[in-house]
Amino acid sequence: MEIDRRKFIATLGGTAAVAMMDSEAKADALEHYMEETLDEQVAANQGQAKFPTVAELEAQIENRNYRRGVGSLFVNTRGNVKKLEPMPKNATLQDFFRLRFAPANHVLQSATRALKTGMSEEIILACLLHDCVLNLIKPDHGWWGAQLFEPYIPEKSTFAIRYHQTLRFYPDADAGYEYPDQYHRIFGEDYKPPQHIEATYKMLRNHKWYMEPRLVTVNDLYAFDPNATVSIDPFQDIIGRHFKQPKEGLGNDNSPSAHMWRTLANPDQPL
Amino acid sequence: MRSTLGTVVLLASLFSLLASAQDKPVNYKGLEIAPIGIERAKNVALVDCPPGQNSVRGNALDGTEFAVVKLAFKVTPAFDQKTFVKKPVLTDASGKTFQTSVSIIDAGTRPAYECAFPFRVPAGTKVASVAIDTATIQLAALDK
Repeated sequence: MEIDRRKFIATLGGTAAVAMMDSEAKADALEHYMEETLDEQVAANQGQAKFPTVAELEAQIENRNYRRGVGSLFVNTRGNVKKLEPMPKNATLQDFFRLRFAPANHVLQSATRALKTGMSEEIILACLLHDCVLNLIKPDHGWWGAQLFEPYIPEKSTFAIRYHQTLRFYPDADAGYEYPDQYHRIFGEDYKPPQHIEATYKMLRNHKWYMEPRLVTVNDLYAFDPNATVSIDPFQDIIGRHFKQPKEGLGNDNSPSAHMWRTLANPDQPL
Repeated sequence: MRSTLGTVVLLASLFSLLASAQDKPVNYKGLEIAPIGIERAKNVALVDCPPGQNSVRGNALDGTEFAVVKLAFKVTPAFDQKTFVKKPVLTDASGKTFQTSVSIIDAGTRPAYECAFPFRVPAGTKVASVAIDTATIQLAALDK
């Protein structure tokens, strides 16, 4: 089987992440990647991708020693976790991007697209931050993410982060959002969103800010290019204008989400 | 007999002229855009234009399909690199319009490239044209 080296390295989080893996972890990762690629090629040759059902995904639960909802900082499904560099005393958002969210390629791609397609600064900021909380926790990531950033960012950006999670289940061709087959893969092809998501969607359809989270989903779709080269540099001014950086540092400012930042800063604390 | 033959020849010439007019590139602010073809699909790659390697694919809902319009772009010296190129809008044979999720970003970064624009339409929709801002490209002859 031919391996696309760049694509493979990107799935592991980039060359920096690969450099930190030992030989055994690299071998395991390669084997896992080849299995997945083979499955995709077979499905493509058959003319249609094969997606699991909800029941098939549930049957996999007891084959794992972790739960799917655990934050990326807390588990490595392909090897051991690594010792993290301590956060600086007065940690900034940029410090968290560098030391805890890295490589953050998906959110940087998403924000880059929002910037290049002329979206508002509130939307660009929301795109930049929309999935950062996945390092902490995955279920309900829209709500958790909004809570994490709410004390520091504009209300529209918080709204966009909170509700992008809901709108990802509902296509909107007029706004340029299609249902991604990635969701068939991770939720199951017969998945139906729960009642609270349906109710949230109905609320959003009639909300004057509907397009804020919708535009986050629109950029979200197009931010999974393993070869994209992105950086936080184009967003420094937007962060400076819209992110209220606490002088004590994130986690030390006694905000309603300070404890969440401390957990991200110190994920090895036992209690 | 002679007049029937003449009519056939005339009609053939007209169709040929129409087809060549539809294949002819349209110039939009120094960007030459030519139609390549139209395909129908239920599952499509979602890749912006010029194309990268985004790995997400989109699915058509029941009763719908994607009309995938393929266009070729050629950047001429007259094209200003800062030009913001709007998304294409598809018009069907009845005049109804449809949006695509694909955006044209940094249109002048490569000299020439091809892009595929999926439009989710009711199954069997006949397409007429695609417009990028003020440039309209006729597609009816390609929608077999």
